[in-house]
Amino acid sequence: MTGREYHWNTADRDIVVRIEESNGAGLLHVDDRTVPFTILDSAADSGWIVVDGQNQRFYRHRDRDTVVVWIGGRTYRLNRVEKGKSLEEAAGSSSGEIRALMPGKVLRIDVAVGDTVTERQSVVIMESMKMESALVASRAGTVKSIHCQVGQVVEMNELLVVIE
Amino acid sequence: MIRKVLVANRGEIAIRIFHTLREMDIRAVAVFTEPDAQALHVRSADEFQRIESYLDANEIIRAAKESGADAIHPGYGFLSESTSLSTACETSGIKLIGPKTDTIHRMGDKLESKLLMRKAGVPVVPSWDGDPPKSEFPVLVKAVGGGGGKGMRLVTDPAQLADAMAAAAREAGKAFNDDRVFIEKYVSDPRHIEFQILGDTHGNAIHVFERECSIQRRHQKIIEETPSPALTPELRAQMGEAAVAAARAVDYVSAGTVEFIVGPDGRFFFLEMNTRLQVEHPVTEMTTGIDLVREQIRIADGHPLSFQQSDLRQTGHAIECRLYAEVPEENFRPDTGTIAIYKPPIGPGIRLDSGIDEGSTVSFHYDPMLAKLVVWAGSRDSAIERMKRALSEFALLGVRNNIEFLNRVISSADFASGKITTHFIEHHADLLHAPTGDVPVGALLAASLGASRAAAKTTGTTTFADVWASGAWPNS
Repeated sequence: MTGREYHWNTADRDIVVRIEESNGAGLLHVDDRTVPFTILDSAADSGWIVVDGQNQRFYRHRDRDTVVVWIGGRTYRLNRVEKGKSLEEAAGSSSGEIRALMPGKVLRIDVAVGDTVTERQSVVIMESMKMESALVASRAGTVKSIHCQVGQVVEMNELLVVIE
Repeated sequence: MIRKVLVANRGEIAIRIFHTLREMDIRAVAVFTEPDAQALHVRSADEFQRIESYLDANEIIRAAKESGADAIHPGYGFLSESTSLSTACETSGIKLIGPKTDTIHRMGDKLESKLLMRKAGVPVVPSWDGDPPKSEFPVLVKAVGGGGGKGMRLVTDPAQLADAMAAAAREAGKAFNDDRVFIEKYVSDPRHIEFQILGDTHGNAIHVFERECSIQRRHQKIIEETPSPALTPELRAQMGEAAVAAARAVDYVSAGTVEFIVGPDGRFFFLEMNTRLQVEHPVTEMTTGIDLVREQIRIADGHPLSFQQSDLRQTGHAIECRLYAEVPEENFRPDTGTIAIYKPPIGPGIRLDSGIDEGSTVSFHYDPMLAKLVVWAGSRDSAIERMKRALSEFALLGVRNNIEFLNRVISSADFASGKITTHFIEHHADLLHAPTGDVPVGALLAASLGASRAAAKTTGTTTFADVWASGAWPNS
């Protein structure tokens, strides 16, 4: 599981994009929306994605700090405000909430309430789309509460564990 | 018998002519200047010759002699309407695939051409070489030797006429080496409708229907179609007759175009005759099945036309969009750069006349037109749908371009209903800008994936089998 945050500027608007992704699938958060996606191909200048159920090809060209993307018959020019960083880096204000990145089944819970965890320690193992992925602690702390059970089927973005 | 042709041009039109030459089993010779050493048209010919300038007739003749070409096709622009090339061809015994020097000369002079057409009974827009009566304003100041909007000024206030004429003369002098200008009545809300003509050396002259070319920016056409949604069968017949009369008046040989402006009342006036193959000739070819370049070559070889007026029919509807490296949002300023991504549309009814490929450089040296996208369909409505589809599938990155702008024009209600005049773009300034609104999630994802090496590395491990097993296959 990788999670990163990107800061873009386009048409005088700042956009913060958070992407959580594992094995080619994940969630994209922008404004107050969360959208599931699958990456079927991603090369340097082109790619193939499914976003919110829509199959799409894209082409991409980087011109210094501007990324020009052609998708769906339109071209978008996005300026990078700052380098992409990991969600942990981005959120010094990390909430400590660990949520399901995709709908799936909880395979294993590696912590109990009161346990001390270190940053990036594996907390919950999930199975989504027949792939296993580990959800890791976004920061060091103590497990305050657990909101799921092994074998439980959880929805996307459902709260699983809280660390404080 | 023509066996080898030098094409004295570059870009898409050179390549388009090569295609016909190859089909006729005639060897194709490209010419190129130093900035074009890597250009696609040079790579597309059987042979090539380096020249100093596309505008230097002596250089073109030298290249033709060195390559052993027995004919020269001038394309459009550059030397295509210059008597220097046709004269040089005559003296060196090389055939020019085009009209006679005398025709080029007489039709190249915008004043003389109108006098001649008036005599031939072709309706002509009133013009003056001195001050027009005040009641005739607004007027257009135009270059005697010009075309393509250069050296042209619209004057609404008689007090500003002198300044406008001076400015137009300076521009014309630079562009055409001829600073003579004249004044013409300005027809408001006009359509620009032209007729394709063909004449041979046996005295035959016919027209190959009209092209509606009203969608223009900065006096240059960007979208052309045929048939025109504005012409009734009666008006088409009347204008076609006038076009043939114009061709006969100058004993026209080869392919040419008679341009008319048509007022909202259906009155039409001769504007000028283009003594060359026109940029927008493909829409005529798509709806008639005629290869105009093949006809030009046959005519230059002394053959009579392969058909008569009564043999010609138009089937369906064709639309052409000119793709330019330019920024419509910024007053259509040209853009330069390297073509990074070039994925043209394919499929039924699509023709692409292109001068570029991925890796091609677009420089400031020459016209920023990159390609012409042409579609054919059974009706105007279905041709519009097809053009929308084609433009929406056309990915071009690396230079700013007008593809989305063309799509907005094609998709507009007024274009669909055929309400088009040469002022369409000024009257639809809202189309210049892309609609504002949220950037789609797919674009944000695509940009972010590209920005993150980590993400690229992760996704690189996704295999076909993974996706298949995951059930995320889009068609499953």
